[in-house]
Parts: sequence; structure tokens; C-alpha cells
Amino acid sequence: MTIALEAVLVAFVVVAAVSAALLRDVLGAIVVFASFSLGLSVIWVILSAPDVALTEAAVGAGVLSVLFLVTVSKTARPDTDTLVSSVDYKAVAAVGLLFVVLLATVPALPEVGSTEAPAVQETVDGERTPYGYYIAESYEETGVENAVSAILVFYRGFDTFGEGVVVFSALVGMLVVFRKEVLG
Amino acid sequence: MKTPYSESPVITTTVRVVAPFALTYGIFVTLHGADSPGGGFQGGVIAASVFVMIAFAFGIGPTRDWVDERVLLALFVSGVVGFAGVTLAAVFLGGSALELGVFPVAIKWSIEAIEVAIGAIVTGVVTGLFFLLGQDRGGEKE
Repeated sequence: MTIALEAVLVAFVVVAAVSAALLRDVLGAIVVFASFSLGLSVIWVILSAPDVALTEAAVGAGVLSVLFLVTVSKTARPDTDTLVSSVDYKAVAAVGLLFVVLLATVPALPEVGSTEAPAVQETVDGERTPYGYYIAESYEETGVENAVSAILVFYRGFDTFGEGVVVFSALVGMLVVFRKEVLG
Repeated sequence: MKTPYSESPVITTTVRVVAPFALTYGIFVTLHGADSPGGGFQGGVIAASVFVMIAFAFGIGPTRDWVDERVLLALFVSGVVGFAGVTLAAVFLGGSALELGVFPVAIKWSIEAIEVAIGAIVTGVVTGLFFLLGQDRGGEKE
């Protein structure tokens, strides 16, 4: 059952991704891209990554699409008769080659949730990897029930501070581009 | 108030009904980052999507006039300052930067405080980006 669901979702995501790249109409491409994100977020749920799924659904399918839509409404939208844009076959060949190379690494990946995964195994010196440490100790050490938040804020807090500042800088950069000192 | 969006009663009514719940869910996700999936980044985006929703129903211009930009500014600046404050407070209490164990409260509450700061940054910035991108072309001449 899960396999069938996964197969349908992966097919949906691949078709949506290819259509988003091929569609000539920008508005259509944005809508297809939003559905691509939505399909991907369901895949994240199946892969036991609800935090990523929530982000994908809220940012990818929601806010990003809206920002694209607003941008498109401000720019000239060429009216076309053709449905799909012309394809550069050399680029397709290059991307296809990269795809095959990446696909070759997939069988080497450990199963989802495997305790035999190299990331949670002891290293050759008999020490735990950071991920092994997080998985074994974070619940006890921090008292939270979502290890992702514990890693994000407690163990990697400095990185997260940087992320917050990056988000802040994005808006400051926009204000500079628009030569404004206020929003709106 | 000319807007590119038709003010259909279906859209405005739906937004009126859904917006309070969406905002509550955004705040819930932000506040429960330590115990359930989500956190400041996700909750902040959901809270910001409420402003986007309202703007779709009632037009970007009126929504921008309705939301005081000083509130948005205060939101994301206080997020960054709050996060930096927690970082420095840990140093003043004798720990390393962001060593949350030195605070006299459970680590969980320090994590939640930082999640709230992240949520404030993301809500303010995403809403601000949307308002900036959605402004009329005449606004660029200033």
C-alpha cells in the first residue's frame, strides 16, 4: 500500500517538475510548481520528516508561489500560442547524465530509520558521531520531545542564529533594491 | 483602492472564517516547536500566510494600509535582538554563547524562547517581502 502511494507520489512530483520546466506560460508554471511542492511535502511525511514537510508545504507551496505570482503580475507576461517552450537537447543530455550518476548512489543509502546507518554508528576510534550523539542523548539532555528542535536550537544554535540573520538580511536587501526605508 | 483582485464574496467570506484559525495554528506551531513537528520557521511562515490570505481577499494596498509597518519592523527587529540577547545573556551568566544550560529555567523553555524569536523574524520578513513586491509601480519612483 505504502509502496503504491509512494510510486504515485513520485510519478506526480516528476511530472509536475518536468511540466514546470517545460510550460511556456509563466502563470501555469508557477501553479504546477506549487503542486510539485505539495506532492513533495506528502513524500516528506511518508519519509518520517514532518518538520521538513511542514516547511515544504508552507514555504514551497504557499509563500514562494505567492511571491512568484506577485512578481509575475508586476512584469510583462508574453502571450504565446505554444504550450511548451523549445527544448535544448544538449542541456537535457547533461542533466540526464547527472541524474544517472546521482541515481547510482541511491542503492548505497541506508534504509530510513536504520540503526545500521553510518551516520549513527561509532567511528573507527570507537567514538560516537554527532548524529549518533543527538539521537541517543538529545531527549534526555534537553527535555524536549522533538529532536529536530533540540538540534536546531540547542546543539546548532549558532547556525540557527545565522539563519535568522540571513532572513533578516533578505528583507534589508529588498529595501535597498527598492530604495526605500519603509515597507510598503 | 484599485486592486488587481476581484473582491468575490466567496473569497472574502472564506478568508474571514479561515484567517483566525490559520493565525492560531501558526502561533501554535511556533510555541510547540519543542514537543511537536514545527518551530519558529514553519510557524512564522504560516502566520505570515494569514496576511497574504487577507491581501488576496481585500487587496494588497488596503491590507498594507491596515497593517502598521512599524509593527512588522518591531516584529522582525525584536526577533533578531531577542535571539542575540539570549546568546549574550548566556555569556554574562558564565557560559559559552548560546549555552542554554546556564539559564535557571529548563532548557526546553530557552529553546521555546528562541523559537518565538525565530517566528517573529520570519513572520515580519515574509510579510514585508510580500508587501514590498506587491507595491504599486508608482512607489518605485521615490
